[in-house]
Amino acid sequence: MTTGQNKAHGAPAQQGETELALDHGWRVVVLNDPVNLMSYVVLVFKKVLGFDESRARRHMLEVHERGRSVVWSGLREKAEAYAFTLQQWHLTTVLESDEAH
Amino acid sequence: MKRIEVKLAVHVVAPLLDLIKGMADSLRSELASPYAPSGLDPEFDAVWSGELLTAQCVDLQVLLGLFNEEFFADGVIALDEDNAEQIVRATAAVRLRLRSQYLGVLGDETLETGNVELEGLEEPLRKAFMCYLFLATIQELIIQHMDGSILDA
Repeated sequence: MTTGQNKAHGAPAQQGETELALDHGWRVVVLNDPVNLMSYVVLVFKKVLGFDESRARRHMLEVHERGRSVVWSGLREKAEAYAFTLQQWHLTTVLESDEAH
Repeated sequence: MKRIEVKLAVHVVAPLLDLIKGMADSLRSELASPYAPSGLDPEFDAVWSGELLTAQCVDLQVLLGLFNEEFFADGVIALDEDNAEQIVRATAAVRLRLRSQYLGVLGDETLETGNVELEGLEEPLRKAFMCYLFLATIQELIIQHMDGSILDA
């Protein structure tokens, strides 16, 4: 993914916040939707996140039964890349900062 | 994935294509799944959603390309390693769009289970639900050939 990774930020205040945000962990969260097939979600988790079958299925069931699943956590840049690709596969995905919890 | 050729009933599928194309057209300017902005940088979010939209349009073109002269001549569509991922993504996009445009009234639980009496639905809901099921069948077919272990489990 190339989106915005080398892009300069706007106002200095925003830049400071962004730099701070880059320093801590981020979570990639997939939300449930009633449309995508369970098999499709398993496929996407395997292809995009490199999960094995049982892990992909476990996260798929968590999405289905609890409405959400944290599928990856770590540095922002990589979290963004995963979130982008999951959204490209039409899974509803949000990024959450560890600081917010 | 090996190349597979699927023979479809033209008289069943062809009437669905105008609706699929209509959904695809409506997805030229809007993402199929809700876009959740990062909240950090509006410019970043704009670039991100723009790139997602571009990728979505490319996938949809590949899906529509399946229903070419060969399809109308003998009902055959060809799926292979080059188009499978794009088609499985595009079918997801169109199904999501069908829900937001037509099928939302059926309720999420009904859409999840797929348990609907087609005969009990009136147009255009009936046609939309037929599209929804048809595209799910295409998805499952592709998934079976891309990674058979998923559907075997």
